Amino acid sequence: MSRPDWIVLILTLLGMIAYGLYKSRTSRDMEGYFLNNRQTPWFMVLLGIMGTQASAVTFLSAPGQAYTDGMRFVQYYFGLPLAMVVLCITFVPVFHRLKVFTAYEFLEQRFDLKTRTLTSFLFLLQRGLSTGISISAPSIILSSLLGWDIVWTNIFMGGLLIIYTVTGGAKAVAYTQQLQLIVIFGGMCVAGYMVVHLLPAHIGFSEALHIGGKAGKLNIITTGVSEKGFDWNDRYNMLSGVIGGFFLALSYFGTDQSQVGRYLTARSLSESRLGLLMNGLVKVPMQFLILLLGVLVFAFYQFNREPVFFNQSQIDLLAKSKYGDSLVLVKRAYDVAETQRIKERTFLSAAGGQAVADVGPAEQRLQIAERQKGVYKATIRRWLKDKDVGGDDNDTNYIFLRFVMDFLPRGLIGLLIAVIFLAAWGSIAATLNSLSSCTIVDFHRRFSRKPMTPEKEFRLSRFYTFLWGAFCVAVAQLAYNLGNSLIETVNVLGSLFYGVILGIFLVAFYRKKVGGVAVFTSALIIETGVIVLNVLSRKGIVHLSFLWFNVVGAIGVVVLAELIQVCIKKRP
Amino acid sequence: MNEPTEDDVPLFKKWSTWYALVIGFLLLLILLFNFLTKHFS
Repeated sequence: MSRPDWIVLILTLLGMIAYGLYKSRTSRDMEGYFLNNRQTPWFMVLLGIMGTQASAVTFLSAPGQAYTDGMRFVQYYFGLPLAMVVLCITFVPVFHRLKVFTAYEFLEQRFDLKTRTLTSFLFLLQRGLSTGISISAPSIILSSLLGWDIVWTNIFMGGLLIIYTVTGGAKAVAYTQQLQLIVIFGGMCVAGYMVVHLLPAHIGFSEALHIGGKAGKLNIITTGVSEKGFDWNDRYNMLSGVIGGFFLALSYFGTDQSQVGRYLTARSLSESRLGLLMNGLVKVPMQFLILLLGVLVFAFYQFNREPVFFNQSQIDLLAKSKYGDSLVLVKRAYDVAETQRIKERTFLSAAGGQAVADVGPAEQRLQIAERQKGVYKATIRRWLKDKDVGGDDNDTNYIFLRFVMDFLPRGLIGLLIAVIFLAAWGSIAATLNSLSSCTIVDFHRRFSRKPMTPEKEFRLSRFYTFLWGAFCVAVAQLAYNLGNSLIETVNVLGSLFYGVILGIFLVAFYRKKVGGVAVFTSALIIETGVIVLNVLSRKGIVHLSFLWFNVVGAIGVVVLAELIQVCIKKRP
Repeated sequence: MNEPTEDDVPLFKKWSTWYALVIGFLLLLILLFNFLTKHFS
């Protein structure tokens, strides 16, 4: 990175920490520290919800996802607006009426202590580990692309935000998320403008969309139905998006304290509702625009040399392996094919579909060059998969940032690296705040025999926030040492637990006659079942995408709890 | 400045209008996306 990039990056990050500390003044009790004294207006609730959900990987991965697989990923969010409506009708009024600190407090009032403790424990386990990964994933990408030391990258990614999160609690989190999102959207808009600006003179925005569309990248709506029927293993289609996405969003926004903690800070029930409903309105278009950026980058690479593999560190790994000599030959042949491809593509787009005599042969040469390119790329992936090499054959997360590094002007690179950091910070800060609130409210205060003063509770809250921050950075380091397999495992982790947690809450809200014993037992059984299902799915015995685990978990708990309750009643 | 009360429904008379707006907007987006998918394929 150049000096202007470093200046922009450092100033942005230091500015954010300073702003967080400036906004840190809050009353020295738990109500102030965790809930901002319930004084947050709806638009800050909205930005908090969005900033918590959108992690660094969202902005790194989504454009790459559109580049490789098209825009159908947007369907994953179709269930979200529906979930916002259900939350506003059912969950949010109850949480507000009971004036709870955590969502799990409600479960003790509705069922019993063991159900509350189990649910809160599942949250802490899942969220603590996955936050470590959400630090590690962007750190690995940045350290690979920029050659930074992974330990320091992890500390900067997950550690610096601890300064203002520990000091200012929910208030500092809310205010910094507001500023972070402004910088993030500003940076992404500039990046979008630059992609279109860098296209050849005769290619505009509309032509870029046509190029993406012809290559199947604008496959926004897909049914998941083929000649063999509906593919249950297909991750992103209308059905899995609406149903699976609905259950996932309902669980995430209704039972995950990192989100519940955001709208509990609202100054009234209507401000909470408005924040959630606005999220339902803006989330899908926002995700659409981020994915569109990937399609534009795809169009850009139709006229510019695409790297044989976007993750350069893996190419360096191959160069040192037994494939080193072959790699030189493949790269040389790839460059020849790419030069030919770009030449033919430029000629054809300049011809603009007119009946020029050379169009037919040029199209043939383009097809041959594209086929050759595909073969060379597949060869690189095959070599990386070789156990002797032990590489990562997926470069989706590297596509957007590699484009930024190679083609965007000085200063803007620093800004977009800062965007990655800020996206990570917004999400992690809210999570640390929620992990700390659950630890002190659901465990420390609940099981402590000595009454605590508000001042002591406040100091303990800060201590737990710091402790969770250190834990997550340590998990991030561990994840890096263990490699990609752990990252994949923890990505699915949310879906393993979310369904069951949601099932417990659904019983609490909608099945009034079911008691604590029935729901607790069914939660344990179904959780075990979901974990077994995941193992079978990974072994290829069961063909079910992880998004469906949420549906299985939630419905499983509701049905089984009902059955167990009937058995309990019949028992003499 | 008036502090909002628990029952305040901004812009509309009932929350159900807001819910209909959110669901209607989602349906509109799906229709638009379907059009874009077909138009650019």
